[in-house]
Amino acid sequence: MMNQLIFIIENRYTRLVLVGLMFLSLQTTLFNEMRPFGVCLQVMLLLAASSGLATGSQTGAIAGFIVGLLYDMVLATPLGLCAAVFAIVGYLAGFAHSFVHESTWWSRMLTASIVSAVGMILLPIGFTITGTENVLTLNVLTVALVVALFNAVFSWPVEFVCRWALREPSAAR
Amino acid sequence: MAGYSFTRRRAILLLSLTSVILITMDLRGSSIVNFARSSFGVVFRPIESASRVLTRPIQNTWHGITHYNSVVDENRRLKDLVAYNEGATISAIASVREAQELLALNGLPTLAGISSCTAQVVGSSPSNYSQTVEINRGTECGIKVGMPVLNAAGMIGKVTDVYKKRSVVMLMTDPGYSLAVKVVNAPPTTTTTVVGEGTSDSSSTTSTSTTTTTIKVTTTTGIPGFTPGATIAPTVTTVSPTGVTSPPGSVGPNKPGQSTKSPITVPAGIDLPLKETGALEGRGLSKAPVVRFVENQVRFGDVKVGSPVISAGGATSLAPPDVVIGTISRVIKRTGTLGPLLEVELAADFDYLNFVRVLLYQPSTERPVQP
Repeated sequence: MMNQLIFIIENRYTRLVLVGLMFLSLQTTLFNEMRPFGVCLQVMLLLAASSGLATGSQTGAIAGFIVGLLYDMVLATPLGLCAAVFAIVGYLAGFAHSFVHESTWWSRMLTASIVSAVGMILLPIGFTITGTENVLTLNVLTVALVVALFNAVFSWPVEFVCRWALREPSAAR
Repeated sequence: MAGYSFTRRRAILLLSLTSVILITMDLRGSSIVNFARSSFGVVFRPIESASRVLTRPIQNTWHGITHYNSVVDENRRLKDLVAYNEGATISAIASVREAQELLALNGLPTLAGISSCTAQVVGSSPSNYSQTVEINRGTECGIKVGMPVLNAAGMIGKVTDVYKKRSVVMLMTDPGYSLAVKVVNAPPTTTTTVVGEGTSDSSSTTSTSTTTTTIKVTTTTGIPGFTPGATIAPTVTTVSPTGVTSPPGSVGPNKPGQSTKSPITVPAGIDLPLKETGALEGRGLSKAPVVRFVENQVRFGDVKVGSPVISAGGATSLAPPDVVIGTISRVIKRTGTLGPLLEVELAADFDYLNFVRVLLYQPSTERPVQP
């Protein structure tokens, strides 16, 4: 019983959930108020993208799913929609960056930026599929652009946090 | 490599399946999903509250940098508005009281007879695609899904999710919002040039004439002192020096061959505001909501910018009648029988929502049937 508890506590996804909760609280308070160009910055999407960049496509997809599910809990949109989109974003981030021969800081920024933009376009498509109307407008492009820029700037520190949270328990010791 | 690929495919398949199952459960209104969200809220609220306290200085700095000029302008504008409204409020209160009295006398439902629950907005949606706010009252206050939410200015939305101590309110700007509304158009008026006395009879003496404009008051109810504003019609009474008073509403007998250019405004028919129903739909944060399905009727005339929009009410409507929503800001004319598309400037300012009132109103179709 105790061993199982220690295993759960040591699990990297448990750490990710805790980090995700902190990011979610920032998302619903600070970044909900700060809206440059009228766009709500998506720090949860950044967390999903950075997870993929830090650990690769498979872990990125699972981490993105967890982060998206946390985000779904506070949104009025269908549960699981953000989880699916963020899982794709996490997967794409890891997959796209696996083609980079020698990874540099700017290649990571660029990848985070592009996958964030893709995520912000996929979200309204998902909303439309699940029945929400008037969401797929040209405003989506503005939102995607602003979010992509913000996520590019902050991708490095968030990736550092993701690398720490998603390291294997053996590496942690 | 094959094993790794298999594991990855399996993981992706599992994630996709889980997402689809969750979305399906939520769209079908599963109680498990509601319970999960409610439980998560209990765990997450303290973290969010702590985060709100810690990040408030940063938020204030941000608002100070980005909104300083607009706040100064807003303050100036509001001071003017307060001064302007002070006088108008007194007469408005009197009118509302009279209207409610009249409705009550006729056995019609009024807003005064509906219980309400006052709540405070504690958070808004962090999404770019849905416009919701969270309020700090829930089922313990009697709030149910679908109830209308108002602030001091007018309607702001409806309750979409209710938990014990909090509720989620879908704002009227949300693309998923729809409500039956009435557009109150001003009655059409026609200006008629009436041929009256052009030249008076020649006289060597100087005559003095007095023209007085009086307001004809028509009392339609037995309420003491009640004067419905809609029936006020200006009439002109001319008192001649001889003491003969012409009948109210006329400007003298017509005489062929004599012309005058005295324009008077004659109300077309009964001077009551005309109402036409339509459906108000939200279009997202960046666009004003629109009213559709307003019929192109001759009697209703062209919808004017500035015409008030109020809730229509009705047996199936989730909002009671005559709740203020806003005014028409733009009329988009369409060809055929589609009728005009009316953009609405909402009365409530959604950027500064604080205290709101949830009307504990349920339409007759939603009320439990008495045994």
